[in-house]
Amino acid sequence: MSRDRRQLLLMLTPYLVGLVVLVLLPAAATMAMAFTETDLIAGSRLVGWDNFVELTGDPAVRAAVGNSLSYLAVSVPLRLVLAVGLALLLHRRARAVGTARAAVLLPGAVPELAYGLLWLWLLNPIQGPVNQLLMLGGQGGRTMFGSLPPQWLTDPEDARAGIVLMSLFTIGETFVIVLTARLALPPEAYELAELEGAHAGQVLRRVTLPLLAPVLTVLVVRDTLLSLQASFVPTLVVTNGGPPPYATTYLSLVLYQDAFEYLRYGYAAAVAALMLALTAVAVLIQWRLLRRWASRGLVGGQARLPGN
Amino acid sequence: MTAGLSLHGVHLTRGAVTALRGVDLVVDRGELLVVLGPSGAGKSSLLRAIAGLDPVTGGTVKIGGRDVTGLRPGQRNVSMVFQSYSLLPHLTVADNIAFGHRIRGADRRAAAARAAQAAATVGCQDLLTRRPHQLSGGERQRVALARVLVREPDVFLLDEPLANLDAGLRTRMRTEIRAVHDRLGATTVYVTHDQSEAMALGDRIAVLRDGRIEQVDTPDEVWHRPRTRHVASFVGAPGMNLLPGDGPLRLPGVQASAVELGVRPEHVRLGGDGTTRDGPPGDVERVEVLGEDALVHVRLGGHALIARVPARTRPAPGDRVTVGVAEEHLHAFDLVTGERIPLPAGAGRAAAR
Amino acid sequence: MSWHDFAKLRRRRTYGAVAVTALFASPLLLLFTGSLREPGLPPVIAPPLIPDDAGFTAYHQAVSHGDLVRAAANSMIVAAVGVPLSLLVASLAGFALAQLPRRLTNTVIGLSVLAMTVPAAALLLPRFVLFRTLQLTDTLVPLIAPALIATSPLYPLIYYLAFRSIPADSYDLCRLADLTPMQTWRRMALPQVQPVTAALAALTFVLTWSNLLDPMVYLYDRATFTLPLALRALAAMDPHNQPVFLAGAVLATLPTLLVLGVAQRRFMHSYGPEGAP
Repeated sequence: MSRDRRQLLLMLTPYLVGLVVLVLLPAAATMAMAFTETDLIAGSRLVGWDNFVELTGDPAVRAAVGNSLSYLAVSVPLRLVLAVGLALLLHRRARAVGTARAAVLLPGAVPELAYGLLWLWLLNPIQGPVNQLLMLGGQGGRTMFGSLPPQWLTDPEDARAGIVLMSLFTIGETFVIVLTARLALPPEAYELAELEGAHAGQVLRRVTLPLLAPVLTVLVVRDTLLSLQASFVPTLVVTNGGPPPYATTYLSLVLYQDAFEYLRYGYAAAVAALMLALTAVAVLIQWRLLRRWASRGLVGGQARLPGN
Repeated sequence: MTAGLSLHGVHLTRGAVTALRGVDLVVDRGELLVVLGPSGAGKSSLLRAIAGLDPVTGGTVKIGGRDVTGLRPGQRNVSMVFQSYSLLPHLTVADNIAFGHRIRGADRRAAAARAAQAAATVGCQDLLTRRPHQLSGGERQRVALARVLVREPDVFLLDEPLANLDAGLRTRMRTEIRAVHDRLGATTVYVTHDQSEAMALGDRIAVLRDGRIEQVDTPDEVWHRPRTRHVASFVGAPGMNLLPGDGPLRLPGVQASAVELGVRPEHVRLGGDGTTRDGPPGDVERVEVLGEDALVHVRLGGHALIARVPARTRPAPGDRVTVGVAEEHLHAFDLVTGERIPLPAGAGRAAAR
Repeated sequence: MSWHDFAKLRRRRTYGAVAVTALFASPLLLLFTGSLREPGLPPVIAPPLIPDDAGFTAYHQAVSHGDLVRAAANSMIVAAVGVPLSLLVASLAGFALAQLPRRLTNTVIGLSVLAMTVPAAALLLPRFVLFRTLQLTDTLVPLIAPALIATSPLYPLIYYLAFRSIPADSYDLCRLADLTPMQTWRRMALPQVQPVTAALAALTFVLTWSNLLDPMVYLYDRATFTLPLALRALAAMDPHNQPVFLAGAVLATLPTLLVLGVAQRRFMHSYGPEGAP
């Protein structure tokens, strides 16, 4: 082996060690643990598929699966649409655009817990600024739309909406990626559209979105992966999974509680396996959709996905 | 005296692509050898094989008599100018020039002095504090050149260094490169696809095609005695006309059905201007005027032929002209191998009929 | 399009930009104004957004009750060791991936993508067992450890792409000068991807500084608490005293804003039109 090759492998080693010791082996261990009943005192014993059988009947898990999926179905598309809209609004130079770009990044920079505490206050039904804003112009304790103000922390529907609302402000990274991709699009494509007399809607549908499609599909996959986990801190801090019994209980919270509050490691590992399976299914479905788009020619030839 | 650089049976395969198929080449010490060929001929691969950037799959490379085939690039003591110049954007011109020198452990002051000296050699001493993005194409080229001059390598390698410059600058820079080479007397291999550059610069020219060397000779020899039909048709602007041996032009003393006859456009005489006897008649199809000269496309007995004539005496499209070629200007190539056939001594002096 | 139309469009874009700024800056502004209120007062319906009795009392209470100084020091130790280490691991790995044979590179990239799909919560338990066996719980080591996977397996891949976009000639140049891969990385490649380093440094810092999950699992001794964990304890102590935990949240947020601001300036820095990666 040449000197250069040896040194390159050496440079890769720390990361590889980290990847194996901190991710791949633990993940494998979790998968194995899912078939045991384990606690740190009594050790573990094999129980076969018992944990998984129990999962199917666990109301917390059932609620969490439903909540997680509906959260994904609502939050991921909304976040993407918002990020794309902002990127298209702010991609051209104009006064105040630079400031606006920086402002979009701000909420994402707030540490998760601080962000949770902030929303705990913002969503406070009586004192919170959100409801104060909604009640501007409303009369008799009603909002400007004449309805009762949302009970963010006590009504299940409102609480779930609140969690989604929180997620809509932390789109900084997605925004930056879409913005960068939009800035990299060739001006010739737009000049051509202009020469052909296309109006704004046609330009968006026939030029911008098809050209951005590869980036957008990657972002959808990435956002799905992140969203499954990102619902953890808000639910822990803001709603603690409630209102009871399981209105905002997501899988990541169930996993944490089973492992570190009820100390049922084997069972928690089974929840982790379920979460991993759900992630895999979600990614697979999106992958299929992407392939179908690609075969229809909607996705450009340079669709570069991580791993390819 | 040992050769400055020699290659014996060098093969180079990268993936499924064979770039070099048995290259033998000897470059004398202090010689400037130009490697000329169309794109895809393996010119850059040849340089990379000499530099060791791509490992050869067969054959040996020797530099100054030392077998370097198994050595990595840094141990071969060669310097290279890349087509893109490859200036590092984060360094000043001075630091770019001194880059390799500093890495080899020279102290800062000595390296800076050498850099300034090298910069002066190629006339970019005023640019030392600038950064690459502040330079014009010609200035970058000079800096790239200065960078290889800062060391004293056994071989200089230049990979199409002028390809990114505009025409006027290209002509000026090639004169300067030749002047620098004459001053330093270093063994140099210079790759280009531009034959006028090759003619103007090279002590000798190696014509490369499909990973093989077709001819290594002085520019005069390559022009006047091309060793293969490919060399004949590639060198020249436009290249040599090639016609079947039993076509409208004939050369006695060779087997007409087994050869191809070549004639340079410069040696085709049109019309009865008195210098040649009448030849076969042809029809003028197109005329391109290039200042003093004109290229006349003639259809001659079903074959296309180009003649280069003074623009003042050019015929007009549609004219019927006679096409005359002096026999000493005819070249014969084997129809099968494409190799030059030495003309039989005292072959008839009849001109083309 | 006439000049008039053009100017009108530009003006509309500016209005849009101002609206976006107001929308996205408002949570932070509210966080700040909320922290200025006098702590310990009974809840009022619809308090004014900028309190009459604005002051920094809540900050004093937050710092003293929450032991935030010690927590901040712990967080800074973690960041000061973890962030540079993480960047080092990421850039070394990214560089090696850009140079090693394709087969090996693709394998490692595949493993990295796989690692990104694993939920963080699924790794907690085995990692907890690992660190407990090594007797490293209640130390800051488990919080620094993720630097070994570059904090996120995405970051080596970003470096990989950045290093690959450097022209091949530049690498050849270094080989001709007999640079080792290590020297090539330090002298040629790393300086050229400085904007990437700046961006990843900011992201790594934010992730490291905000990390709540790991401290929750590994730290029980108050003396080792990091800022997010101390803040959580503070909020749990008196969940109705909003000004105090909002003040704590402001303090925890300030460093990330600072780092982001500095990084943004570096991020914009590049070497002219040709040098921009």
